[in-house]
Amino acid sequence: MAKEAPVLEAIDQTAPASHSSGPGVVYEWLTTVDHKKIGIMYIVYALIFLVLAGAQALLMRIQLAVPNNHFVTPQVFNRLFTMHGSTMVFFVGIPILFGFGNYLIPLMIGARDMAFPRLNAFSFWISAFGGILLYLSYFAGSGLYGAGSAPDVGWFAYAPLTAKVFSPGHSTDYWTLSILMSGIGTTGTAINIVATVICMRCKGMTMTRMPLLVWLLLVTSCMVFVAVSPLTAAQIMLTLDRYLGSHFFDTQAGGSAVLWMHFFWIFGHPEVYILVLPAFAFINEIVPVFSRKAIFGYSAMVAASVGIGFISLSVWAHHMFTVGMGPAGNTFFVFATMVVSVPTGIKMFNWLATIWGGRVRFRTPMMFAIGFLFQFLMAGLTGIMLSAAPFDWQLSASYFVVAHFHYVLVGGILFALFAAFYYWYPKITGRMMSETLGKWHFWLFIIGFHLTFDFMHIPGLLGMPRRIYTYEAGRGWEYWNLIVGIGAMVQAIGTLIFVYNLVHSYFRGKIAGPDPWDAWTLEWSTASPPPSYNFAVEPNVGSRRPLWDLKHPEDPDSSYE
Amino acid sequence: MMQSDNQNRDGHTTRAHAGAVQLPAPTIWPIVFAFGLALIFTGMVTHWIMSLLGALLVIPGIVGWFLEVLPREHHVYVPVSAEIIPVVGTHTTGAQRPAGPNHRKLLPIETFSITAGIKGGLAGGTAMIVPAALYGLIRYHSTWYAVNLLAAGGFVSWAGESDAFLAQFHPLGLLAATGIHTTASLLIGLLYGAMLPMFPRKPIVSAGFIAPFLWTGLLYSALGVISPILDRRINWLWFVISQIAFGLVAGFVVNRQVKVRTAQFQALPFAVRAGLHTSAKDEGPDHP
Repeated sequence: MAKEAPVLEAIDQTAPASHSSGPGVVYEWLTTVDHKKIGIMYIVYALIFLVLAGAQALLMRIQLAVPNNHFVTPQVFNRLFTMHGSTMVFFVGIPILFGFGNYLIPLMIGARDMAFPRLNAFSFWISAFGGILLYLSYFAGSGLYGAGSAPDVGWFAYAPLTAKVFSPGHSTDYWTLSILMSGIGTTGTAINIVATVICMRCKGMTMTRMPLLVWLLLVTSCMVFVAVSPLTAAQIMLTLDRYLGSHFFDTQAGGSAVLWMHFFWIFGHPEVYILVLPAFAFINEIVPVFSRKAIFGYSAMVAASVGIGFISLSVWAHHMFTVGMGPAGNTFFVFATMVVSVPTGIKMFNWLATIWGGRVRFRTPMMFAIGFLFQFLMAGLTGIMLSAAPFDWQLSASYFVVAHFHYVLVGGILFALFAAFYYWYPKITGRMMSETLGKWHFWLFIIGFHLTFDFMHIPGLLGMPRRIYTYEAGRGWEYWNLIVGIGAMVQAIGTLIFVYNLVHSYFRGKIAGPDPWDAWTLEWSTASPPPSYNFAVEPNVGSRRPLWDLKHPEDPDSSYE
Repeated sequence: MMQSDNQNRDGHTTRAHAGAVQLPAPTIWPIVFAFGLALIFTGMVTHWIMSLLGALLVIPGIVGWFLEVLPREHHVYVPVSAEIIPVVGTHTTGAQRPAGPNHRKLLPIETFSITAGIKGGLAGGTAMIVPAALYGLIRYHSTWYAVNLLAAGGFVSWAGESDAFLAQFHPLGLLAATGIHTTASLLIGLLYGAMLPMFPRKPIVSAGFIAPFLWTGLLYSALGVISPILDRRINWLWFVISQIAFGLVAGFVVNRQVKVRTAQFQALPFAVRAGLHTSAKDEGPDHP
């Protein structure tokens, strides 16, 4: 096999930058088009919303911890679950994953910046303003002249509840418009990622040598084009209904509530994969480094990711089995949903095969990655259960479903995100996060997670519907809900330790150096934090693990690929 | 060193002579444009004055952005000072130990082809029809009962139908049952093709009895959840008989197919591959 020139053996570092302070720093960040700074802003902004939405979750769990509780009013409870869901999906999940994508993709493919740096800045800011607009509703939900109230129609805002007659005032409009703005930003970033990956790879980095993280974010971005467009269309139609009196979703005037469901879930289910594929991407990078082995089945991993991308676009109506779609529709969506587990299973086996026989190092990123593997598997199993239409008829809109998707979103995606934080924090800040605090965070969070979401399945099986404000004693739900509430508190403590670790390590953390994990992808060949131009000279790679080639010239991967 | 600018693949230009890298210049216009758009939307839920203000920001935002890239894109030069960052591994590596010969036994040098699994699945699926039809004939005097019962798993409206209804011929039921049965038979046939080489001893027992008993047990515990309609009406004794019929026939057909060589075969010494040297067995228990 042809042996190609490896990546640079020495990387230049920029001269010390001139230090500006106060307004100068603020102006610098407001006007930046540097992908790294935009990535950091995405991540910090998402973390702020994560804390907000987490606090909302805690309030809900306090309300449900005991029967007949009146900790919050029913109206406030409705707003809490609406804001919690909307914030987590649109203003935490997507931004934080795109933040990591923004930061890492140019570094991993040996580029200086994203393809469209100004569009990148615009996409971030429009998304950020969308989040701010959503939370402005707490102060001005009925318009500036009325009392404030946040949206209360649920994160998927089913028609006809969103009609003007059932949702007077502007609270629902805040939801619609803020998500419309978020959609503009998401699409802009997706365009940027696709263009960057296709056009800006360094010399030698063919598509088959790209890091898997880059591949998965490419697939995710392509999915964004297909999935976000129907949501944006639906938001515009709903706005027309509410402002101009059109009847798209007005069931009294010939509109269709089911049409909204289709529009929403054509976005909504691929959205799960839009969130989970970047999580897979993190695991693809972390597991091999901490197992000291190359990823098992690179080609199969790429194929499975593309397969998931396609199949996940055809499963949306499994959220609608109780609508009564008829046998043909039900059968199709049952099978399509079950089929998506095949490429996902391939990934799971490949991760296990990567770990198998490796010299595993149980540092904090790897511990979170292993937590992800186990919990995502469990989440997949309950997903297969719910994909069977008759099972779904029994448990749709119950706490079993809530437990299932939180297993995916928290047990899967959030664990992968935590792993990513511990793994790339040294690259972003130049300092290591504390391992001791990291392990406290891991153990508290995993215990809290299992207390919360394992036991949340049981009240669901016992018939507890989601979104209920309170419940009578004696139904067998109270003990489970108490355990769930305690688990949520334990998770909150773990999260606080994480936030403390982030801040403390920034000032007091051990200096990381350019490559603290002895890793193999290009971002670790430059300084930590990287200079604004990333690489002084364009790298040239000869394999999927360019740094391995440099560190082991006697046995480079380029000899085998 | 070159004195002219070098255009890189990523579109940025490197001024090597100055030890500087050219990057896109920071700009205020994207945030101005985004803020203007946000104010237009905010005006829709607050006061039209906000939208007006937003429009007033959007216009300079767009114009400023255009002027940022036309006629020439604005750049800044970022100085680069050389500092060598050594790229060295911190972990030691050792020579890979040769795999013990016992490991090779886990990797079959021959296996069944995919078509073997398909043939086995189709044959097993056909064989399974016989006891299923026999059950319907004996119990309900109709061969269509089992067909419609299988189809009822996908038809909610058939949940409350009588036995007499299920004993009649329904083209839709036949179509649905054929689809379900063919798909399931093919998938299990493929599984047989993949797994039978792993259990070479007593193939009749493993394929004909153990495997059908295992999946029948699994279905028995889960069918109430997967398809309550089937669960209420199914006769488990006849179900087991039909599964054994499937397992025996599918296993027999798969086992009769010619095996194909796997990638592991290529790893064998040429003498062995050429048939000049019998391997392994003759040389001791550690060889495949």
